Amino acid sequence: MAEPNVSVQFRQAAGPELKYAPSRLKFYIDVKRCIECGGCEVACKNENNVPAGIARIRVVTVNEGEPGETNVAVPCMHCSKAPCVAVCPVDALFHRPDGIVALNKETCIGCGYCLYACPFGAPQFPKGAAFGSRGVMDKCTYCAGGPEVPFSERERRLYGANRIAEGKLPMCASICATKALIAGDAEEVANVVRMRMATRGSGGGAWGWESAYGKGN
Amino acid sequence: MAGLANVFGYGAMTNSQNDIRNSRSVLIIGMNPAENHPISMQHILTAKETNRAVIISVDPRFTKTSAFANKYVRIRSGTDVPFIYGLINIILANGWEDKKMIQERTFGFEEFKGEVAKYDPDTVADITGAKKEDLLWVARAMAENRPGTIIWAMGGTQHNHGTALVRTYCHLQMVLGNMGVPGGGTDVFRGHDGIQGVTDVGGGPETLPGYYGVGETAWKHWSKVWDVPYDWMLSRFKSRQMMEKPGFTVARWYEGVLLDPKELGQDVNLKAVFFMGHSTNSMQQMDRVKKALEKLELIVDFDPFVTNTAVLPDRQDGMYLLPIGTNYEQTGSATNTNRDLQWRQKVVSPVWEARSDLAVMVDLAERLGFKKQFIHNYKGDWKGVPASMKDVKELPEQTVEDVLREINSGALSIGYVGQTPERLKRQQQWAHVFEIKTKKAVGGPVDGEQWGLPWPCWTDKHPGTHILYRTDIPVAEGGAGFRAVWGPKAPDSRTMLAADGSAPVGGPNAGYPAQKDYATDLTLGAIKQALAEGRNPYGNGRARFNSWNIPDPVPVHREPIHSPRPDLIVKWPTYDDVKELYRVPTPFKSMQKPEWVKQYPIILTTGRFVEFEGGGAQERSSIWLVELNPEMYVEMHPKVAHDHGLRHGEWCWIETPEDMDGRPSRIKVKVKVTKRVGPDTVFLPFHFGGVFEGKSLAHKFPEGNVPYAIGESANTVTTYGYDRVTQMQETKTSLCRIKKA
Repeated sequence: MAEPNVSVQFRQAAGPELKYAPSRLKFYIDVKRCIECGGCEVACKNENNVPAGIARIRVVTVNEGEPGETNVAVPCMHCSKAPCVAVCPVDALFHRPDGIVALNKETCIGCGYCLYACPFGAPQFPKGAAFGSRGVMDKCTYCAGGPEVPFSERERRLYGANRIAEGKLPMCASICATKALIAGDAEEVANVVRMRMATRGSGGGAWGWESAYGKGN
Repeated sequence: MAGLANVFGYGAMTNSQNDIRNSRSVLIIGMNPAENHPISMQHILTAKETNRAVIISVDPRFTKTSAFANKYVRIRSGTDVPFIYGLINIILANGWEDKKMIQERTFGFEEFKGEVAKYDPDTVADITGAKKEDLLWVARAMAENRPGTIIWAMGGTQHNHGTALVRTYCHLQMVLGNMGVPGGGTDVFRGHDGIQGVTDVGGGPETLPGYYGVGETAWKHWSKVWDVPYDWMLSRFKSRQMMEKPGFTVARWYEGVLLDPKELGQDVNLKAVFFMGHSTNSMQQMDRVKKALEKLELIVDFDPFVTNTAVLPDRQDGMYLLPIGTNYEQTGSATNTNRDLQWRQKVVSPVWEARSDLAVMVDLAERLGFKKQFIHNYKGDWKGVPASMKDVKELPEQTVEDVLREINSGALSIGYVGQTPERLKRQQQWAHVFEIKTKKAVGGPVDGEQWGLPWPCWTDKHPGTHILYRTDIPVAEGGAGFRAVWGPKAPDSRTMLAADGSAPVGGPNAGYPAQKDYATDLTLGAIKQALAEGRNPYGNGRARFNSWNIPDPVPVHREPIHSPRPDLIVKWPTYDDVKELYRVPTPFKSMQKPEWVKQYPIILTTGRFVEFEGGGAQERSSIWLVELNPEMYVEMHPKVAHDHGLRHGEWCWIETPEDMDGRPSRIKVKVKVTKRVGPDTVFLPFHFGGVFEGKSLAHKFPEGNVPYAIGESANTVTTYGYDRVTQMQETKTSLCRIKKA
């Protein structure tokens, strides 16, 4: 086979101990653009076959109907310093090399520690039974499936789509009407945000940035 | 559409949604794009961010769009004419108008100025409820930030003087000189992906395809296109008079069922109705629709889902539900709000019992005995299609293409010529070479073409017209003046042709009439001759401040039929009653009663939310959409709710005055306490159905077809009121009272 004439630069995946992780996959939610159309919520459910009642992403509106009304889509932020990963007693939650916070549903014991640790409400529990049984946790996979054979029936059933393995971005970001929710390599995402801030002027700070990624450099 | 057509010549959005990226100010009035056209917000927000465009939202509701505006002005529903005139008054007083455009390219400014002078800021503030300083702010922002665009939708059209109201939007842009420039224009957003197309191919009752009207010339032209003898066509009608008489409108067809034939514009009642992708719960006075549905002999409902129509009437027989394929199951072209055509490919063939629209139409023609004439131009591919259409689910793609080719060959008046299936499919393949801001292709086989070949696209070489009435480019590249559709002279013999020096470049630099026969010469000879001489086939005329051929030649304010201001009804009454409009008697003044407000003190307005569309039969059947908006509600200001002893989430009755029926209507809905609406107004979304005046109709759906969400239809309580010109329903302003349930 002929050598490809394009050289692909592979970057070292940065571990969670690094403060700045340029090669990681990130979400960015632009609160100056999110119009609460709900497209991300429905697209996510359709793509990943998420049952009603579970929200891997949801749009939150504050000050509805009044000046200052602001919307923000909240998926799992795939934190560098992820509290859920820190508290998980069975290591069902872990960082993939690309920075996605992944979940192994077969290891999860449904203890719910992550539910309390997460500042974004990302962990979802399908059941609510007497005596506190919650069932196995479900959350945004960044459309990257789970620790199974990619595209297998088993992966599809447990985790949903694996768009990352197909070379595509998460469905929510792909479908976003106003490009408020953007996803991709942190460096690319940062470039888009920088361009927007430069034209728009100050005051468009990233929502949740500090909680998810620390105070920056 | 009638409003736009009577000012500029064409009843369509003049610029495109992409073009809003070039705007420096955006006035959004009677429109909520964040919910109704979410994708357009991408362009609007880009203009806001990159041009620092001023976004102004004018609406009775603080909508999701208003949340993104630099300025929000609350006005009373149905008072847009005074608001716009108030702006124009300020603009003229300060000399901010575009004198060149007014003088060279418009007609009737003198009489218009006289009318506008009546709307001084105090009067406007009194009628609209807007503050005087807000008026000044908006006028100044629009004047200082040009080009600017104005965006509206049904909040502008659904009033008893909707056509007049739309014309004032156009007039504001003419005064500001915002016409025919990138970033300017009058941008009415049409719904869905094909509503503009439906209007273009003659979906309305007053015209054949291409806005030719229903007169003899129109019938002769289209008979020629369809290649059938005119006499044969005439023989299909009861008389020539009925052939050339506009039909019932979608807003009031049911009166054709209910009223005594003596009162109608035809001597028999309607006996059968076919619904194709239409929801009865999106139409006003639904209680009357229900009665009509009970009286009809035959109802056929073509829809992928079981609609409100199917369950509304109390009847046991005579109703047929025919499953139709969705847009994913059918190939064909669609025309969107930008006048863009797009070819779309089916993903699968119609599933289960569904059939394509075209297959159903051909089958219908076969059963009615004129299949031969109907498919005459569909040469396409009939191999393998049985002689009888009875079991045919869809037709081959080549045959579907011929439907568009037939439109191409006939709809010359609006330049539907160059959008051939071949060109549309080529654009599909080359979508990536079109630039987002100009919609223009750079390089490749589509080089220079506009995306979607927006009409008018005069020949199969023409790039399409992205921005209407633009004179700084040649006609061959999409340049044009205003349409010279009213002849060279007005009835008072003032000229209707543009002044010298204001024609599209590359041709005679003066006003000129339309090319003779350009709309009827099927050889395209007339169109080609005009193009060869650098002239626009439809001429170079003037936009009208004074539309002498319709009621209120210069628009004036008309209080809503259900106005909360008896004092203003005296000064600004609605129209005189009309004996016959689209075959039904249409009273105006006799329905406008100043005493209504005493019993029904609160304004009721309706609208949409983002999760559902239209009658909602499809969306209410999707669990994921229903999850986001599961229940019918009424938006109520905290003061109104608390004055009525209501809390968020409690049930209440909304009651409205009696209309033609002589009985009040009411619906039972949940209260949503919010400051989106002011204390004088409540808001109902109109997507729900399946509950009628407090009673569930769930048991009437075919088994397994009950939508996940059912609820009261807002249109059960919307009251009588129709536009004087188009008979568009006045759903945006009713009066109501609230009772705790």
